[in-house]
Amino acid sequence: MAAVELSNVKKSFGSVSIIQGIDLTVNHGEFVVFVGPSGCGKSTLLRLIAGLEKVSAGSIKIDGEDVTHRAPAKRGVAMVFQSYALFPHMTVADNISFGLRLAGQPRAEIDRKVNRVADTLQLTPLLQRRPKQLSGGQRQRVAIGRAIIRDPKVFLFDEPLSNLDAALRSQMRIEIAKLHEDLQATMIYVTHDQVEAMTLADRIVVLNGGRIEQVGTPMELYAKPQNRFVAGFIGSPKMNFITGKHVSKGKLAAVQLSEVAFPITIPLDKVKGKNVTLGFRPEDISLDKSNRVPLGKARLLVQEQLGSETLGYYQFEGMQELLVMKHHRSVNLQRGNPVMVYAKAEAVHLFDDAGQRIN
Amino acid sequence: MTDVTGHTPSEASMRQVTIFLCLIVLTVLFLLPVFGVLLSSIKTTQEISQGELWSWPSAFYLGNYVEALSNPAVQIYFLNTLLITVPATFASITLGTLGGYVFSKLPFKGNNFIFLVIISGMFFPPQVILIPLFKLFNALGLLDTLWPMIIVHTGMGIPICTLLMRNFFAGVPNALREAAILEGSNELHFLLRVALPLSLPAIAVLATLQFTWIWNDFLWPLIFTQSDDKRTIMLGIAFLKGQYSVAWGIQGALSLVASLPTFLIFLFFQRYFIKGMTMGAVKG
Repeated sequence: MAAVELSNVKKSFGSVSIIQGIDLTVNHGEFVVFVGPSGCGKSTLLRLIAGLEKVSAGSIKIDGEDVTHRAPAKRGVAMVFQSYALFPHMTVADNISFGLRLAGQPRAEIDRKVNRVADTLQLTPLLQRRPKQLSGGQRQRVAIGRAIIRDPKVFLFDEPLSNLDAALRSQMRIEIAKLHEDLQATMIYVTHDQVEAMTLADRIVVLNGGRIEQVGTPMELYAKPQNRFVAGFIGSPKMNFITGKHVSKGKLAAVQLSEVAFPITIPLDKVKGKNVTLGFRPEDISLDKSNRVPLGKARLLVQEQLGSETLGYYQFEGMQELLVMKHHRSVNLQRGNPVMVYAKAEAVHLFDDAGQRIN
Repeated sequence: MTDVTGHTPSEASMRQVTIFLCLIVLTVLFLLPVFGVLLSSIKTTQEISQGELWSWPSAFYLGNYVEALSNPAVQIYFLNTLLITVPATFASITLGTLGGYVFSKLPFKGNNFIFLVIISGMFFPPQVILIPLFKLFNALGLLDTLWPMIIVHTGMGIPICTLLMRNFFAGVPNALREAAILEGSNELHFLLRVALPLSLPAIAVLATLQFTWIWNDFLWPLIFTQSDDKRTIMLGIAFLKGQYSVAWGIQGALSLVASLPTFLIFLFFQRYFIKGMTMGAVKG
């Protein structure tokens, strides 16, 4: 039995369609991340699961039960909000135990549960403080504590780390991953940060324009994106795209770039008469020609030295496209003369005119 | 050298001195009549009729206060005023809070229009609705009771209470409400346990405003009451005179005593009041 099952879920606000028919199954104990650009509907989808928005069509099942029209508190979900949503006039202990007190649980039972959760999240010394006396990370831990204490069937996270600084974000990311490991709970996590998606998810759901573009493990999405959108969205720095027209090269096809024809190992009839977009991850192109195929000449525009590696941004001669290339950190890049760029032929991702993967 | 507003230090201090002087003049203007009343209240009637209003009393005479407060009619005036002010303040704030919550957190089709209709209640001067209300309460047989004042003050307080509470609740993040609802809270529970405790500054502002306004009201009791035992304190002060003379000293003493409750209410809510006036001014 699936933990969460969405069947043809749609949501419109007036005449604006936000979610356009989503089918998705989330398994028990799975960590699923909804990722996509702003306005893609990922938060709306989460709110539909939580019951904070009513679906326009379709159904939602949690643990096999249809909860489509059930009140949020009766769905067995707990949500962690981007803004923490802590009650400012209550102590940490009161915030964490809010739901239990509301349900009229005995005081001793509540205290025992609060202490257990506080212990798990290292909040014990902070229990009598108010939210404004806490740091951003501590506040988020309290919000997570409030979710954990209810022992929900599904945890919902709505961009929980967006308000934190980079260092704290990476620390909290590890804590959330550890929490999932410890609780073995079903978690659905919304983020626009694809690093969070890649590092936390068992499976990633890439959303765009209210539709699912692709569902898969982080490495599936990285290695075999089904379309150009997913290819461009997953991976940092993002994938390089170069568009050219197909040309025949014996029985196989090639893509004509400004200077060279790049051979592609797919049957000619698949791409005949069409434009083809080549996609290369930044680590799959190089200035070194060994075992690689030339792409064309490009001129270095900018380099970013990140310490562990150096990113070079290049402008192709005779083409609009910018290329980003990962170099070893010790490389000494020179601006000025154009250099030949090479790529691994087997590492190419091919997309047709409609942006769909063809290899 | 200039400060952030582009003024030199001497210009800035000149501005401050000017503002300070203006405030002193305004304070004196406001307090002078009160001081005059205070002087009258500690003079004998004879001294008032002989001397000038601003002259210093020859002796510190408290007889006016004793006479005013020991008058059984005055005690009834106070009781009547309290019986009107407390329920009308409570009812207008309660209804305004409920309305404000619905308009800010539970929008529905046409809510802006209804909100506008409610707010428009603020724009009608009492004189416009005076006669219709008189006729209405007459038809209901409520004239010369305390009910018309309670009802009118509640009704007239609802627009400002709704406006202020709606604006205040709009500043309470929606995520708080959603978090509470996910935890099993209903709207009333969220309003009472979360939204209201966070809205104490707004409640304090409204309590002070409403209490002061209703306590000090003169017009409505004048219109709706006739018997002496239904009068409020403000009306009582005006009627507190002999057949041929005006009891200035007693009136002065009673005026000061009558303004004490509003002063105490202000002192009680002051810290919230100041906070309430600046609320929303900066991101907190």
